[in-house]
Amino acid sequence: MISTETRPAPTSTARWHVAVLVGGFALLAAVAVVSIGIGAQAVPPMDVLRALVAPDGSANQLIVLEVRAPRALLAIGVGAALGVAGVLIQTLSRNALAEPGILGVSTGAGFAMTIGAALGGVASPAAELLVATLGAAGATLLVYAVGRTAPLRLVLTGVALSAVLSGISLGLRLMSPDVFDKYRFWSVGSLAGREQAPLLVPMLAIGLALVGALLLSRSLNAAALGEAVARTLGANIARVRLATLVLITVLAGAATAVAGPILFVGLIVPHVARRLARGSVPWLTGYALVLGPLLMLLADIGSRVLLPTGEVPVAIVTGFLGGPMLIWAVRKYGAGSL
Amino acid sequence: MSALVLRAGRRSFRVERRTLWLSAILLGTILALGFVGLCYGGATWASPGEVLAALTGAADSVVIVEWRLPRVVAAMVFGCALGAAGAIFQTLTRNPLGSPDVIGLDAGAYTGALFAFTVLAGTSGQLAVSSVLGGLLVAALIYLLSLSNGLSGLRLVVIGIAVNAMLQALNSWIVLRADLEVAMAAGAWNAGSLNGVDWADLVLPLPILAGLLATLLVWFRPIQQSTLGDAVAATTGVGLDRLRLMMVLIGVGCTATVTAVAGPIAFIALAAPQIGRRLARTPGVALLPAALTGAVLLLTADLLAQMLLSPESLPVGVVTTAIGGCYLIWLLTQEVRRR
Amino acid sequence: MFTRRSARFGGALLLAIAVAATGCGTSESQDTEGETRVFAADNGEITIPADPQRVVATGYAVPALIEADAPLVGISTWKRGLPMMTKQDRARYDELEKVAGEQATETNYEAIAGADPDLIVIGVPQPVLGDIDVERLESIAPVVAIGPTVPSAWRENTKKQADAAGALAKFDETKSEYEGKAEELAGKYEDVLPDLKLAHVGSYGEVDSGNFQREFNDSWGTNVANDIGANYYGEVKEKGGGSQDVSEYPSIEELPSAFAEADAITYSVEADGTPPPAVQYVLDSELWKDLPAVKADKAFPIPLTEAATYRQAMQALDALDESLAPLLEK
Repeated sequence: MISTETRPAPTSTARWHVAVLVGGFALLAAVAVVSIGIGAQAVPPMDVLRALVAPDGSANQLIVLEVRAPRALLAIGVGAALGVAGVLIQTLSRNALAEPGILGVSTGAGFAMTIGAALGGVASPAAELLVATLGAAGATLLVYAVGRTAPLRLVLTGVALSAVLSGISLGLRLMSPDVFDKYRFWSVGSLAGREQAPLLVPMLAIGLALVGALLLSRSLNAAALGEAVARTLGANIARVRLATLVLITVLAGAATAVAGPILFVGLIVPHVARRLARGSVPWLTGYALVLGPLLMLLADIGSRVLLPTGEVPVAIVTGFLGGPMLIWAVRKYGAGSL
Repeated sequence: MSALVLRAGRRSFRVERRTLWLSAILLGTILALGFVGLCYGGATWASPGEVLAALTGAADSVVIVEWRLPRVVAAMVFGCALGAAGAIFQTLTRNPLGSPDVIGLDAGAYTGALFAFTVLAGTSGQLAVSSVLGGLLVAALIYLLSLSNGLSGLRLVVIGIAVNAMLQALNSWIVLRADLEVAMAAGAWNAGSLNGVDWADLVLPLPILAGLLATLLVWFRPIQQSTLGDAVAATTGVGLDRLRLMMVLIGVGCTATVTAVAGPIAFIALAAPQIGRRLARTPGVALLPAALTGAVLLLTADLLAQMLLSPESLPVGVVTTAIGGCYLIWLLTQEVRRR
Repeated sequence: MFTRRSARFGGALLLAIAVAATGCGTSESQDTEGETRVFAADNGEITIPADPQRVVATGYAVPALIEADAPLVGISTWKRGLPMMTKQDRARYDELEKVAGEQATETNYEAIAGADPDLIVIGVPQPVLGDIDVERLESIAPVVAIGPTVPSAWRENTKKQADAAGALAKFDETKSEYEGKAEELAGKYEDVLPDLKLAHVGSYGEVDSGNFQREFNDSWGTNVANDIGANYYGEVKEKGGGSQDVSEYPSIEELPSAFAEADAITYSVEADGTPPPAVQYVLDSELWKDLPAVKADKAFPIPLTEAATYRQAMQALDALDESLAPLLEK
C-alpha cells in the first residue's frame, strides 16, 4: 500500500521535508487567523488582530477570544488527532481505505458516551474521555479482529458496526426521547458551541498521544516493511502494534469526546500526506500533523459560510468532501484486493 | 445430495431435498405466525375460532379482515421481498454484508422522503413516489460509479458506503434545518413501521412485488452460477453484465417498493439470506430459503413490536435492528472463529 | 411459488372484505344516532355528535380535555405535560386508558376502536397528521384534528378542542379565572413592566449547539408574560411563518448585539428551576456576563414556559409573579 518510490539522497530529502513542513505550519497559522476572523457576528479585522495582541475586553474582542479562538484551537487539535489516527490505522492495517470514522471507531466512542450519559455518572470531562476511549477501543478491537484480512472487508465490518450502533441509538431515542436526546449532539459532529466545555483534559490527551505517535512512527516504519524486515531491524512487532492500537483509540476517542463523530478526515489526510512523505512513516505522521488541522479549519470555515444564516455542522462538510475521496480511493486501491 | 428436478417448459429447477423440506417447514411457520398475528392486535387477543370465522366470512370483523390481515400479509410479502433482495446483493457481491440497507439504498429513499416532507406536502403518495425515486437514483449512481472494466461486487458495496455517507450528511443537514414537527414526522418514517397498513396501501405494491419475485425465481440460478465463473453464463444466452444489471434492478425494486409503504426496515435483507443458507446448508445463498426466512423474521419482529410495550407499539424497524444487530455480531464472531 | 399462493389468498380475501364492508356500514349507522353538528377543524368540516359521550384525545388535546372535564374514555400518553398537571388532573390522567403513545406513527388503532368512542380529537401539528391513518380512525368515529400552530394559539385551540368535546362550560370557567388573575397581575406591575424593553432566551425546539433561542412577543416563553403587560422588543430578522415569526436561533456571537438594548432579560427554566442545557450554555457564556442587563442584575428565570392550557398558564402566572417580584422592590 505504501509505495516506496525512488528516494533522493537522505540529507536533501530531510531538508526538503523540513522546508515543506515549515511552509505548512505557516499556512496553518494564516488559516487559523482567518478562521478567527470569520463568524456570524461581523468583527472588523483590526479588532481581531487587536484582540490577539492587546485585549481590552470589548464585546467584539470577547467574541474573538471567548468563542472563536477556543474553536480554532479545538479544530486544530481534532484535525491533528483524526489525521494522525488515520495514518496509524492505514499503516497498521496496510489498508488505504481505513479511517477512524469509516471503521466505526468514532461511532463506537459516541455510542459509549451516549449510553454513559444516559445511565448517569459520566459528567466530568475525564470520565467522558475515558468512556469515549473505551468505546473507541471496543469498536477498534471488534472491527480489526473481524476485518483485518482484506481492506474492503475491514471497511464493511466498520460500516456494519456503525449501522448497528446507529440503529440501536434510534430505537433508544424513540423509546425514551428525553433521556437519549443528548445523542442528537453526538450523532453529527460539530465544533460549534464547545468553547465552554472543559477541553484541557482531552486536548492534553491528544497532545500526549500525538507525541507518542511521532516517537512510535520509526518503529512503525520498520513494522510496515513486513515482519521479517522488522525483526532484523530490532522492532518488536507485537509491542508496536499494541502501542499503535492504544494511540489510535486515544486519538479517535478524545476527538469524538470533544467534537462528536467526524468522518473522512482520517481518510483524506493520509492520502494527501503520502504524496509528500514519499514512503516514510515518520514524515507521513509529521505531514498529517499539519494537514489534519488545516483540513479541519478549512472545513470549519466552510461550515460557517456555506449557509446565509446559521451553520452546517462540520461533520457534514467533511462528509461531502470525503465521500468522493473514498470513491476515488476505492477505484484506485480497491480493485487489487478483491 | 438427493435432489428433485422440476421441469416447467424449457426451464428446469434443481431443488435439493433438504431445501424443499426446509421451505415447507418455513412456509408452515409463516402461516402459523400469520395466524397468531391475526389473533393478536391492539393488546387484545381474538380466539382462533373468531379469526377463522372472520376469514371464511362466517362472521364480520372489520378489525381482523381489514386491519390485521393487511398488516400480516404485508409482513409476509415484504419479508419475502427483503430476503430476496438481500439474496441478490449477497450473491452479486459474494459477501454476507452486502445488503441494500448497508450499501445506502435506504439512505437514498430517506433523502427522497425528506424531500417530500420538506418541499412537498408530505402526503403518503408523494412519500411513496419520492422515496422510490430516491432509492432508484442512488442505486443508479452507485452502479455507474462501480463500473470500470465490468462490475465488481465488493467495489459496489464500498462505493455504496461512500455514497451512503454523503447522503447521510445531506439527510442530517435537512433534518437539522427542518421544523421540529417535520423532523419528528420524518424521523418516525425513517424508523420503518407496518402500523396502519391497509389494503389500499397494498393494491399496487403486491402485484409489483409478485412480478419481481417471479422474474427473480426464473433468473436467480443463472446469476448464482455465474458467480462461480463467467463461462457458465454463456450457456444462459444472456450477457453477464446485463443479467447482473437486471438482478440489481429487481433487488432495488423490491427494497424500494417495501420502503415506499413501510419506510426503511433494516437488517431483514442482511440477516435472512445468511440464516436461510445456514438452515438449508447450501454452499451459496439460496433464494427460496432466504425469501421465506425474511418473511418469518419480519412477522416475528412485527409481533414483538406490538407486544413488547403493549398497549403502545414500537416501530418494527427498531425491533429488526435489534434482532439484526444481535445476528450480525454473532455472524462476525463466527467468521472470526472459522479463521 | 409463494407469490402465487398469496395471490390466491388475496382473491379469497376480496370476498371477505366485501362481506366485512357491508357489516361496517350497518355499525356506522348506529354511531351516528342522535343529534349532530358540523365542526370546522384542521381536517375540514366534520360532522360530529352535538353532545359526545365517549371522547378519545391525543397529543395536545389530552391536557386540554382533562382540564375541561370532557367525557374522555381514552387518551394518548403525554409525558411532557405531566409536571404541570394538578394533582386531580394527574389522577385522572393516570386512570384513563392509554390508547396511543407519544409517537403518532404508533397510534394503536385497535385500542382506540376498543374504547368505542363517538368522537376522536387529535391534537398534533399538521405535518405529524400525515403519520396517522385518519381514514381508519374515521371508520371508528368522527375525527377532528386541532393541532398547535403558533405558540400563543393554545388559547383558541384549547377552546376549539373543548368545544368539539362538548365541555365548554368548565373551559370558560377556567378561562375567566385565568383572565382575572392576569388582569390583577397586570395592575400589580403596571408601573414597572410596560416601560421595560425585555428580551427572552428560550429553549424550545432544537437549539443547535453554539446557538441560542431568542423569543419575541407571543412566543412560548413570552405569551403569558404579554398578558400581564410585558413587552419584548424587536422582531425576527427573517420571518419563516408559524413559530418562526416569533422566535429565532442566532449564533451565540450575536448575543451582545441582540441584547445590547434590553433593560431586562428573562430566560426559560424547567419546572424545578434548573436551566435546560440550551439556556445553561448561554448563562455560562462570557458574552452573557458582559451584557448590560445582566450586569445590572436584571435577568429573571421563567419556569413553565410550555404552558398550553389555561390552568397550566395560571401556574405560569404564579411563577412569573415570583420571578419578577424584584422589579417591584424599588
